[in-house]
Amino acid sequence: MRFQIKRLTSQILIFFSANLGALGFQTGFCYPFFYCNSCPSATSACPLRAIEQSVYKGSFYWKLLLFPILILGFFGVTSGRGVCGWACPIGLLQRLTGKIARKIKKNPKLKKIGQHKIEKYFRYIKYLNLIILVIFTTYIIGFMFTDICPIGFLTGTIPTLILYPSKFVPNPFFWIALIIFILFLILIFMIERGWCRYFCPIGAILAPFNKISMLYVSPVEKNIFDKECIHCNACVNSCPMGIDVINMNRDPECILCGKCINVCPKNLIKFERV
Amino acid sequence: MKKMIVFQICALILVSGSLSLMIIQTDVYERVQSGIVEVLCLSCLKLEPKTKSDFIFETTNGEPHPDFVIENLTKGVIFLHFSEDACPGCDIMYPIIKDLFKIEFGKEDMVYTITNFEGNVIPYYYANLDHTNELMRNTFSIYDKDNIKGLPMFSIITLGYDKGIIKPYYTTLYGSLNLDNDSDRLNYLIELLQQSIEIYAQNSEGFHP
Repeated sequence: MRFQIKRLTSQILIFFSANLGALGFQTGFCYPFFYCNSCPSATSACPLRAIEQSVYKGSFYWKLLLFPILILGFFGVTSGRGVCGWACPIGLLQRLTGKIARKIKKNPKLKKIGQHKIEKYFRYIKYLNLIILVIFTTYIIGFMFTDICPIGFLTGTIPTLILYPSKFVPNPFFWIALIIFILFLILIFMIERGWCRYFCPIGAILAPFNKISMLYVSPVEKNIFDKECIHCNACVNSCPMGIDVINMNRDPECILCGKCINVCPKNLIKFERV
Repeated sequence: MKKMIVFQICALILVSGSLSLMIIQTDVYERVQSGIVEVLCLSCLKLEPKTKSDFIFETTNGEPHPDFVIENLTKGVIFLHFSEDACPGCDIMYPIIKDLFKIEFGKEDMVYTITNFEGNVIPYYYANLDHTNELMRNTFSIYDKDNIKGLPMFSIITLGYDKGIIKPYYTTLYGSLNLDNDSDRLNYLIELLQQSIEIYAQNSEGFHP
């Protein structure tokens, strides 16, 4: 439990540090997580915005493309998707909605849907989001993802409208973005970490790094599950990303939240590092 | 296992080394800071600034008007046009501005030209904030009337009478002007320019920079 309090503290501190722009502290870095640079108090740039700018309408600015990828790569090599579990403010939001999502999950119909065999394929949507919406459409026709981004709506549009109600009017994409934002809210209340699992393009960049990251979740010994696991499924049930923890090997979905480590009654799971 | 550790360390050195080199050797840090973090992304916000064409005397940050503005105000009403590389609003407005002044220029160019609008001289400045100099960046801040920091931005500077003194008098417009089609946008700018020229004509004789 103390471990989870540490994680919560980290998420809260990083949320505040992501908003130091309110005190005039603005850097030229990209966030290693999802947060909008149009937030009135943003400290840094959204990595997706930098990627989109680098390929806008047939242009190619390699520095702008490589810069966010290297920043995400640094965090990816060291801790894989640990950023999603320990730093991302949208992860923090989903941590708060997760309790409701867990209660809803107990509904038999939803449980059935959640355990359906096609569910695992939905996880590829985030890769398609990254390739098609963030890169391909931006290269061919211009910004698409930023125009409808629900995180931009939450962290940019809403605070701006609250702070400056008379300065702005909606653009043609506003209403589409509002609908997507409502769907985003429904999603995160219905499915724990639904955004991270299925849609987050930054999660899609970080996920492959789980295969090579220096820090990862693993069994305390090789084949220990075969020998000592009592198959209580506590680890699987506690995992916010819905991972089959017992059979996982550096799963690209793992966000290093450590919940499986905390709940295992036989202490068979641990953080492994180089 | 050992192979994996070597691979991880190599990957870490490669990523952190490349990142450090990029920050030290290239302008990417400054570009992200000035072009993404400090300039407001209106696409990300799904909002457009309200267009208010009211003229004012005070500059946004209280700084004096730049010398080139004062100098050119002896010739006529000045039109300043600011944009950036990746900007849907800027793309909408380029053809309208080109049509308004009957000029041609590239998106990344820096332009200063004397144009003719209905027989009147209009000094026209175009600055792409991704490629322009410090002077034009400061000018952008000076005339950001509503403190939006969003692009595209257009300033029309004429001369006005204020407590016995003739001074630069300007308005600033943002985005695609809250109008739905190109002809409405063009007509709006034409009317505003005509109004500015009229005010200029009333005050230009008393302007002594």
